Amino acid sequence: MAGLFTADIENRGLVLDPRTKLIVMITLVVFALGGTGSDIETVRYGTTALSILPLIFLMTAKQYKKAAVFGSLYALIKSAEIFLVPHITGAVLSVIGLCCLIFVRLMPGLIMGAYMLSSTTVSEFIAAMHRMHIPQQITIPLSVMFRFFPTVLEEFAAINTAMKMRDIRIGGKNAGKFIEYRLVPLMVCSVNIGSELSAAALTRGLGTKVKRTNICKIGFHIQDIAVLLLTAALYMLWILGMIGVVK
Amino acid sequence: MKGKDLINIGIFSAIYFVIVFIIAMLGMIPIFLPLLSVLVPIIGGIPFMLFLTKVRKFGMIWIMSIIMGILMLLTGMSWPPLAVSLFTGLIAELIYKSGNYKSAAKAVITNGVFSLWVAANYLPLFFAAEKYWASRQNFGQDYIDTVTKLMPTWMCPVTFIVAFLCGIIGGLIGRRLMKKHFEKAGIA
Repeated sequence: MAGLFTADIENRGLVLDPRTKLIVMITLVVFALGGTGSDIETVRYGTTALSILPLIFLMTAKQYKKAAVFGSLYALIKSAEIFLVPHITGAVLSVIGLCCLIFVRLMPGLIMGAYMLSSTTVSEFIAAMHRMHIPQQITIPLSVMFRFFPTVLEEFAAINTAMKMRDIRIGGKNAGKFIEYRLVPLMVCSVNIGSELSAAALTRGLGTKVKRTNICKIGFHIQDIAVLLLTAALYMLWILGMIGVVK
Repeated sequence: MKGKDLINIGIFSAIYFVIVFIIAMLGMIPIFLPLLSVLVPIIGGIPFMLFLTKVRKFGMIWIMSIIMGILMLLTGMSWPPLAVSLFTGLIAELIYKSGNYKSAAKAVITNGVFSLWVAANYLPLFFAAEKYWASRQNFGQDYIDTVTKLMPTWMCPVTFIVAFLCGIIGGLIGRRLMKKHFEKAGIA
C-alpha cells in the first residue's frame, strides 16, 4: 500500500504538468460523477471516452497491472449497466442497479486519483500549488502530509505485526482492543517523528517569510496541450448540446 | 502560526487520512458505504482529539478541514466535500476558540462539527440523481422507483446528523484514551 503514495518517477513515460492532471480530474468529477450534461447523448459518449483517458495515462506510466485491474473492472460494471440492468426487476435490480450507479460514477475519478498520486512528486506538486498562488498555510501541511504517508503506513505495519503476536486482532482473543492498541502507539510514535521532522524542516527554510525556490521545472508541453484540448472538447460538446446544435 | 504548527497539521492530517483511506477501502463493498459516516468520525476522533491538544492558534482546525476537502477532490470524490469542509472547519474552529482552545467539552463538539465533511461525500449521489434518471428513462419507471427508494432524499440530512453524533461519540472515546494514555506520557 505504501507504493500508492510514493511517486515512481523513473518509469513514467509521459510527463504531464500537475495542473493538467488537476484539470482532467475536475473535468471527470464534473461530468462522470456530477452527471453534467448526461441528458445529451453526445456528451454521454464523450464522458465515457474521457473516462478511458486515466487508463491510458496509467499505461504510459508502465503501470500495466493497475491499468488492467481498473480497466477490466470498469468495463465489467459499465457493460453490466448497459446490458444487464434494463432486463432485471425487483430486489436484484435495486442491489445491482445501485452498485452500478455508484461505481460507474466513482471509478473514473478514482483511477485518475491513483494515477495522480503515483506520478507526481511532492516537489512538483508544491511547485504547481505555488504557481496557482495557493498560500503557504495550505502547501506546507500538504507537503508534510505526503512526505509522512509512507512513514505512517510503515509504522502501522510494524505495530500491526506486533499486536498480532499478542493476539490482538479481529477474531482473536483480544479483539475489543483492536483499534485502541493500534492507534495509540501509532500516534505516540507519529508525534515523536513529527518533532524530529519540524527540526529538519527548519533547516530547509520551511515556515519563513521569504519566497522559497524550487528545483522542479514544471510547465505546459505538447502533451499537456493535447490533453487539455480533449477536455475542452467535452466542455464544447456540452455547450453545443445546451444550445441544441448536437443531441 | 509558525512552521511547527503547520507541520503538526500535516502530521495529524496524514494519520487521519490513512484512517479514512482504510475505512474507505471497506466502503468499496456497497453495504459498508453508508457506514463511512459512522466509522470515520468515531475512529478518526481519536487522533483528532490529540491534535486538538496541540492547537493553540487560530486557523489550525480550519486548515486541516480544508486539507481533507482537497484530498477528497484529489482522490476523485468531487467538490462538495471541499465546499462543506470550508464552512464546517471554520465553525469547528470558532467553537473550540470560544473555549480558549482548552475546554474539553467543546473539543468533543468540535470533533462532531469537524466530522460533517465525511457526510458531504454523498452529496453528489443525492443531488445529481435527477439528471441521472433523466438520461435513463428507457430503463423504465420500475428501475427508477427501486433505486430512489434505496436512496431517498431525506437520507441526505440523516447522514449529516449521523456524522455529527458519531463525531461526538468519537470525541468522547478519544477523550477517554487521552486520559488513559497520553496525559500520563506527557504528550497531550
